[in-house]
Amino acid sequence: MAEKKISKKTLMKSFHHWYYGNLTCFSQEHMQTFGYLTSMLPIVEELYDKKEDQEEAMQTYTAFFNTEPQIGSVAVGITASLEEARANGANGIDSETINGLRAGLMGPLAGIGDSMIVGTLIPIILGISLGLSTGGSPIGAIFYIIVWNLLAYFGMKFAYFKGYEMGDKAVEFLVGAQGKAIRKAVGIVGGMVVGSVAATWVSVTTSFELKNSAGKAYLVLQDKLDAVYPGLLTAGFIIFCWWLMAKKNISPVKVMLLLVVIAFAGVVLGIFNPGLKY
Amino acid sequence: MTISWIQAAILGIFACLSSLPGMAGTSIGNYTLGRPLVGGLVCGIVLGDIKLGIMCGVAMQLVYIALVTPGGTVSADVRAISYIGIPLAMVAIQSQGLSATSTAAASLAKSMGTLVGTIGTVLFYGTATLNLVWQHMGWRDVEKGNFKKLYGVNWGWPWVSHLLFSFIPTLIMCKLGATAVTTLKTALPMDGIPMKTLFTVGAMLPCVGIAILLKQIVESAMDFVPFFVGFTLAASLSLNLVSCAVISLIFALLFYNLEMAKNARAAAPAGGSSIDDDDDEEDI
Repeated sequence: MAEKKISKKTLMKSFHHWYYGNLTCFSQEHMQTFGYLTSMLPIVEELYDKKEDQEEAMQTYTAFFNTEPQIGSVAVGITASLEEARANGANGIDSETINGLRAGLMGPLAGIGDSMIVGTLIPIILGISLGLSTGGSPIGAIFYIIVWNLLAYFGMKFAYFKGYEMGDKAVEFLVGAQGKAIRKAVGIVGGMVVGSVAATWVSVTTSFELKNSAGKAYLVLQDKLDAVYPGLLTAGFIIFCWWLMAKKNISPVKVMLLLVVIAFAGVVLGIFNPGLKY
Repeated sequence: MTISWIQAAILGIFACLSSLPGMAGTSIGNYTLGRPLVGGLVCGIVLGDIKLGIMCGVAMQLVYIALVTPGGTVSADVRAISYIGIPLAMVAIQSQGLSATSTAAASLAKSMGTLVGTIGTVLFYGTATLNLVWQHMGWRDVEKGNFKKLYGVNWGWPWVSHLLFSFIPTLIMCKLGATAVTTLKTALPMDGIPMKTLFTVGAMLPCVGIAILLKQIVESAMDFVPFFVGFTLAASLSLNLVSCAVISLIFALLFYNLEMAKNARAAAPAGGSSIDDDDDEEDI
């Protein structure tokens, strides 16, 4: 019997099913499971002629799956290559090994994806776009649409086919020592970019000042704070929010409500004043 | 500015396409159409004031510059921010007589976007819950071996969830909300405490967005160092984002090599032969 090989066309179909449908039927119970099933279906149909074999193979992918969907393409590519090996009767590849591997990939991939793509890449593109759109120009938004979609589509395609090409070797690369070093390096870029995003785009200022009897301000708190460290108040608020969420386990919604309380108290006491009029 | 039924319906369709489990897919839906900056462009085109739309989008994008949704936990709903929040903010800004490029307009947009976005998480959970029904149908198809029907489950039926939880709420909120925010002007004067609070909160809210992201990348106190280096480069030296990113590359390179060197060292005694160890001892 000739060795089975998934055609390029079927791989592209599988990739597109993932690219489009990884989260379309999302529920809290089975997040990306149906996206995964529809991505594997063309592959399973091509590899197995008999209905029973197809059913058995599809059963593998009914297990829960969820990760960062962009970088998650690599997992679909890896399983495509494993499914091909299983169809050719390779030793030791069964539902259990495939699912064990998928389960092991979900966490690390989500970690890489959240910090690299959602935490670093998207804020950088958005930061550039926001700069371009200052003043109300649509150029920034258009720039974001084009750059992000090109990167997302071709990046995901690359990840999918790299995963297919490398098979289970990709797993070692992703969770191994080199993968860890890459994650660390990317984390540095992410941290610095987030820092500059915060300094560039976030601005918390106080209007508190002390006046002498002639009504002239002799202490402008904002100027004093900026003399110590530019953006001190902004940085302070960010760390405060981080501390509440990371250390005190307070939900973002409650932190926002707390900010409302702080803002209200500050306005009443004259610490904050946006200084607006009609 | 008013919003007609047709305009509200168009915004409703965009809401269906753009939400987190959106019908345009994750990359095009959630991460493109769902971003407030892009939403601002769309709303600007639909409502006929691109400049104002973009300004609202820019303001709200700041709050959600890094909207991470770890493990499907959602703190804000992008369809509500971009396709309910932005249109209403646009109407509010116009009815308040604020200039589109003013700080006041941006703060108003931020407050409104965050309010709507937070309440909008209801829509997210509604969609996800109704999808359970389609998934249940899907499991029966898997059992029976009707695999082709899975395409319908994944790509077709969720439209019903979106009709109920994206299209209709957006349609109604945009149509009725617009009248409500117009009356705000008389009810809440600009120099009163409620509006001052709203604008102050608007300036503070991006801190939460940044903090959510920090929560993802900071594991120990040391991880704050890159953040503050980036902050200082931008705040004190006025470098822009791309310059900061370029500078960060050199540090990334250093850390990568350092980490790899550590790995090589850790691997050497385990992988190296025992003869090498003997040599070391003789040298001493």
